[in-house]
Amino acid sequence: MSREMDCGQAVEMLHDFLRRELTPELAQQVKQHLEDCRPCLGHARFEESYLAMLEAKVKAAGCPDEVRSRILAVLRETTQDEGG
Amino acid sequence: MNGHSESAASFEAEALPHLDTLYRVALRYAGEHARAEDLVQDTMLKAYRAWDTYRRGTNARAWLLTILRNTFINEYRKRSREPTPVDFDAVDPMAIYHAVENSDPEGEFFSQIIDDRVWAAIDGLPEEFREVVVLSDAEELPYGEIAELLGIPIGTVKSRLFRGRRLLQQALYQHAVEMGYVRPREEA
Repeated sequence: MSREMDCGQAVEMLHDFLRRELTPELAQQVKQHLEDCRPCLGHARFEESYLAMLEAKVKAAGCPDEVRSRILAVLRETTQDEGG
Repeated sequence: MNGHSESAASFEAEALPHLDTLYRVALRYAGEHARAEDLVQDTMLKAYRAWDTYRRGTNARAWLLTILRNTFINEYRKRSREPTPVDFDAVDPMAIYHAVENSDPEGEFFSQIIDDRVWAAIDGLPEEFREVVVLSDAEELPYGEIAELLGIPIGTVKSRLFRGRRLLQQALYQHAVEMGYVRPREEA
């Protein structure tokens, strides 16, 4: 198999590349492609900012304090290992 | 310290830090706050009672998410809508980068979208896509962990993520265009 990767293949793997989910060999091929191809590098930066935005917005919300308190109260009334 | 309180203490130390993740994922499954709270509470009670079967120091998040997911499927989904089957091959949305590469190549419009609209767009995804997008891109679970949790091959996780991310990007882009956060590409 050729080590050259075309734009279509590189773009298809961008998210997996950014999430470090590619094999080292594939990651190296994507990296090489991005060094050689300005349009794909631009696309990669766009997807990187998309993933960062998504994570930041989603992580801004968590378990509301009053829910946490109610769950803790229920747990403290519960005995472990009773199965019911 | 007796055995019971030692076990309770280790539960609090290892399981409770994942409450935010459990709640966010539960809200995506259940669709609204009251049911999400019930789902998380049921999950935590089961986990607490079964804490002796959890091997300390392994992946508590994955263990808790498995209980959460099974509880949802077995006890909650029956009371709500069944997921609509998705013809995965029919879903091949375009990347939106090419629509904005001249007007907003860094995707700055994404940061103008308010959090609630991002959630609404996630909730609008078919369940098969929503689940993997939330677990991967919101909660940062490794693909292998998601595959194990869902009982599907890692290649299926990847293809669902690929399509789910593009669908989500399209929904966010359309919202951003409507709100004037980004100019649509002008057709030549």
